[in-house]
Amino acid sequence: MKPKQALELQAYLDGELSGRAARRVAAWLAQDPEAQALANELRQTKALLAGYEPDARVPESREFYWSKIARAIATAEVQASRPVGLWGWLADWRRALVPVSGLAVALVLALALIRGGVWSQPFSYLTEVETLSEHALTHSFRAGDMFVVWIEPRATLWGAENPEAGAELQDLIIQ
Amino acid sequence: MALQDDRTTLSDEQLVRRAQRGDMAAFEELVARHRDKVYARAFSMLRSEDEALDVSQEAWVKGWQRLKQFQGESSFVTWMTRIVINLCLDQLRKHKRQKAESIEQLAEESGGVERQMPAVAVNPTEGLERREVRARIERALSQLSYEHRTVLILHEFEQLEYKEIAKRMQCSIGTVMSRLFYARRRMANLLAAYKKEELSP
Repeated sequence: MKPKQALELQAYLDGELSGRAARRVAAWLAQDPEAQALANELRQTKALLAGYEPDARVPESREFYWSKIARAIATAEVQASRPVGLWGWLADWRRALVPVSGLAVALVLALALIRGGVWSQPFSYLTEVETLSEHALTHSFRAGDMFVVWIEPRATLWGAENPEAGAELQDLIIQ
Repeated sequence: MALQDDRTTLSDEQLVRRAQRGDMAAFEELVARHRDKVYARAFSMLRSEDEALDVSQEAWVKGWQRLKQFQGESSFVTWMTRIVINLCLDQLRKHKRQKAESIEQLAEESGGVERQMPAVAVNPTEGLERREVRARIERALSQLSYEHRTVLILHEFEQLEYKEIAKRMQCSIGTVMSRLFYARRRMANLLAAYKKEELSP
């Protein structure tokens, strides 16, 4: 039996064929034992499934199951009732403006300190970068009386290719 | 307490009308009545308890939000079942995008070996108790790929026509026919194999 014939037979059994096509398949089915055997199997499977729809029970109590639904509905309603228009637009921007305004305040404070406080002397600085080995760099920064040195392990990059050696180097630097 | 008792005696239609006017308690009663059915449909399609819980609850939230659109063309539970089916299909599409198709799945698409196998002549569940038949059907369904299981569920349990299934699954009618045929043949063969297992010493 060709695949197309099998699908047509199935469509006939499912009542999906038009009158003329259905009559043609019915005539073929009446004469072909292979088609009859397949039709029996398809009918049997269909009948079996019809009587045994999967059954499952919610594995939670009524109250708990409902509480999650009620909460989700309430959240969705709050979001839907947010102010629209200019006030809504401002409310949306307010969240973004809070961290930006914080940064602005920090910047103003830093400028005030530089101009009149800690770094009141002429602002001069010198940075140096030195290669200690192929695995680390030292950076030094001088400004006024301050002298800051830090070591930058190249373990992050190097360790990405060779994690064990990277970890060893990290240990060395920490020591 | 009296109000609670009052709701339990109301029909679905009456509860729906109350819920459409904003009565959340009426909607809760509808959830209590049909939660197992909605969850069972999600579970039969997704085969995961956690996902079925999430999707069924999401369906109820959507049900509440769209309640005004429900005009009573079908029963309320049928309407809710359609919502949960659509959410399951979305979920399954997400899974499908995440997973590369296995060779087995590709073989299933083209019909696999079942297409060539002789028809199962005897009833493979004959003589079994109802509970056992159900367990075997569940087991066989869980062995199908999601496409075949879904097409079978939509056709056999939801009584949808090929055209409607194709629309929901976003594929051609030919694909629906092919998947349905394969799914039925595989179900018959799996059930026959379980019968053989039972008979073998």
